[in-house]
Amino acid sequence: MARWLKHIDTRGGNRGAAPVSGHHVAPGETALTVSGLSKSFPGTLALDNVSMEVAHGEIHALLGGNGSGKSTLIKCLSGFYRPDAGEIRVDGEQLQLGSAQSAHRLGCRFVHQDLGLIDDLSVCDNLYLGEGFPSVAGTVRSRRLAAAAREDLARVGLSDDLDPRELVGEIPAAAKSGVAIARALRPSHGRPIRLVVLDEPTATLPHDQVTELLAMVRAAAGSGVAVLYVTHRLEELVGFADACTVLRDGVRVATTSAAGLSHRDLVHLLVGSELDDVHLALQDLHPQSDATLEVIRVQAGVLRSASLTAHEGEILGIAGIAGSGREAVLPAIFGEIPRSGVVRVGNAELKPHRPRDALRARLAYLPADRKIHGGIMSLPAGENLMLPDAGKYWRRGRMQARLETEEVRSWFSQLDVRPADAWEQPLGEFSGGNQQKILFAKWLRFKPRVWLLDEPTQGVDIQAKAELHRQILKAAAGGMAVVVSSADNDELLALCHRIGVCRRGELVRTLATNSLTSAVLMREVLADAHTDGRLSGETAVA
Amino acid sequence: MRRQWLKVLGLERFSGLYLWAMFIVVFGVWTPSLFLTTGTLHTVASSQAAGAVLALAALLPLAAGSFDLSIGATANLSGIIATTLQTGHHWSVGPAIGAALAVSAAVGAVNGFIIVRLHVSSFIATLGMGTVVGAVLVMVSGDEQPGNPTSAAWTHLTDRLVLGFPIIVVYMLVIAAVLWWALQHTPAGRYIYAVGGNAEAARLSGVATDRWTWLCFIGSGLVAGAGGVLYTSFSGPSLTFGTGLLLPAFAAAFLGSTQIHPGKYNVWGTVLAVYVLATGVQGLQYITGVQWLNDMFDGVALIGAVAFAVWRQRSGGAHAQAAAPGEDAGADGAETDLGSSPAAAGAET
Repeated sequence: MARWLKHIDTRGGNRGAAPVSGHHVAPGETALTVSGLSKSFPGTLALDNVSMEVAHGEIHALLGGNGSGKSTLIKCLSGFYRPDAGEIRVDGEQLQLGSAQSAHRLGCRFVHQDLGLIDDLSVCDNLYLGEGFPSVAGTVRSRRLAAAAREDLARVGLSDDLDPRELVGEIPAAAKSGVAIARALRPSHGRPIRLVVLDEPTATLPHDQVTELLAMVRAAAGSGVAVLYVTHRLEELVGFADACTVLRDGVRVATTSAAGLSHRDLVHLLVGSELDDVHLALQDLHPQSDATLEVIRVQAGVLRSASLTAHEGEILGIAGIAGSGREAVLPAIFGEIPRSGVVRVGNAELKPHRPRDALRARLAYLPADRKIHGGIMSLPAGENLMLPDAGKYWRRGRMQARLETEEVRSWFSQLDVRPADAWEQPLGEFSGGNQQKILFAKWLRFKPRVWLLDEPTQGVDIQAKAELHRQILKAAAGGMAVVVSSADNDELLALCHRIGVCRRGELVRTLATNSLTSAVLMREVLADAHTDGRLSGETAVA
Repeated sequence: MRRQWLKVLGLERFSGLYLWAMFIVVFGVWTPSLFLTTGTLHTVASSQAAGAVLALAALLPLAAGSFDLSIGATANLSGIIATTLQTGHHWSVGPAIGAALAVSAAVGAVNGFIIVRLHVSSFIATLGMGTVVGAVLVMVSGDEQPGNPTSAAWTHLTDRLVLGFPIIVVYMLVIAAVLWWALQHTPAGRYIYAVGGNAEAARLSGVATDRWTWLCFIGSGLVAGAGGVLYTSFSGPSLTFGTGLLLPAFAAAFLGSTQIHPGKYNVWGTVLAVYVLATGVQGLQYITGVQWLNDMFDGVALIGAVAFAVWRQRSGGAHAQAAAPGEDAGADGAETDLGSSPAAAGAET
């Protein structure tokens, strides 16, 4: 309670005075120095003698697959883990290892994927909830609060676009992230913020809002703070980050300036040439002529009309921004949600909203959200894998555990699931990429004629993504008709023979990918798109 | 480090066995003449058998992610029907029991209909159904306790020793074995646990979620009915025993989910839990001689079991994180779908 009554002026009035930049050392000077950091866990060396530096005003990208050690590094910076060896300095001051207070006191801030904002409260309230509101005799001074909030928002270049009195639940996703960053940037008790760590800030962001978020991060760095930026999405780094450090298996494999670095170079740093090889394979596919899946004027919720065909051996993409109706296409075809219109697999017409009928016609579906719709996180991975045909090894009144284990083991090795022998562990204990591999195996084992994949690589690291793409291409090469719905246009361009474009609730056209460029697809996806006016208006052209 | 010790001693899976052994040693040393007798063994074993069957009735829908709060009332109705048909209508034992079980299964089928077809939450549906069944009980019995049937077949049904063991315990073990087989060794069991784990994901994987839920409620009614018949045969007809068996049944099922296969409602864990609780109560009763122990024990056990399961899950998440250090997996692991676990099911109620 006492915090809430605290008068803003008692904290030295630094808020009223000059913004953060006043406290900052000139850009270019080293803000964060990590030297010789090691951290081991029983059985693994998660960080092996890692050193790196981040300068004031620099956006430094931290890259690495699952298990590469980047999460451990961040947790060491935040004081959540205590490293076994090494040293962390912030503006020359030594961070007391394993102490969250010390990290906070030295001006290190962390913005996690879960932004920690309360949707039902206004932007101002969210900004000041933890800090205490400007108040007089217990009454919040709302004008003072709004002014202070505007000043905070200015640090990420949001002050003109956003009314701090708006509810956080009603502002666009990118702006929400902006609010979280603004809150992290506010100096507390007169101490400046020196380092902001952003942990995959764009992972849950609609694709069309990424540019806005990147601009905000730029603005933040412009004020002199050092930014450590963790991401899976390589494509957003080119032309954005100043430098990047790549971790692999706990070892720093490279630190390089990001200028002039292409997307392909980054991929090579991370996984070698794997992904290129995968995508070259696409050229070898020759779609057959008879349509395996035929969808005619399907309508479901925001989706007003979608018609498409997919052929044996073909990979069809579905592109579209959030709210375009794209998200409803695959659930409607499969029968997760009610629909009208016609869906045919081969010659058989499917009844709407009947997943079991769809599966009987060998139409399989990988839902977008693996935690809610895709897998049963509390059950063993092996049982998840076997679920669509659990009775296969039921003989003489028992489940034949040995045969089951054999099959599960072979799927685990085919898709390179790690840990390779953990099929009795609950699915939820695997990393995102491995969960997705297990769910891939579940449907590959089912041998569908038509396979619908919704956001097949969302939130997985680059190695897993390469493996998943390889599996999709292999399935199509084996004669499966595959439909991939994704917000990631580059993924669609890399994988698909044709791409259907959704706009304003309609699947408006289908484009062949052989002559399609990223820019053209982007324009198609965004043409006439409903724009929010306030934030996404600019990107529509880009 | 502590985790490893827990593992070595089997404490994660068999803490109930240790507790049981501790009870036996402590009470055996304290009151050897009363506690360490075959009489006590038989009393505890047979008096809890019907309760164990009820716990198994509670277990089946729990495995599929639903509650059946009508099992107590169903058991009571079943027992009264079996006796009333014999004493009032001169049926023989077999048909009377058959009719009682059929009615119990029918109650389960109605539960299933309300939940699956009318989309009423199982908690509400079976809470209401329990009361309805209570009303039917009064209709059937005319609110008068029927006399105990005197036929030898009825009295010998549960009052006999097999290999020196009360036969009622054998009945219970047979029912438990059948359920164990069904849940652990058939595809049906896989589907039921899948529905309980995440009904929507199961449905999208082609599991007939409605059918399995419905079947679980029919099974639950049937098993509860069997429990009612056994109780009535063993202890004599009563119009009120059902309510008293409901809470202990859930206490045992929840406590059971922390044993043998932690995190999963399972048959042997449940049976173990019933007897651990009963042994504790019996021993304490010998020592103190007070009457309120049963209720106190069952209530504390229900809350304690759920609290323990929640704690296990939370620390289990941290454990997963430590086991997969530095992986983005850690975060994922900790976020396991909470809604699907016994702990959360209990926490929600």
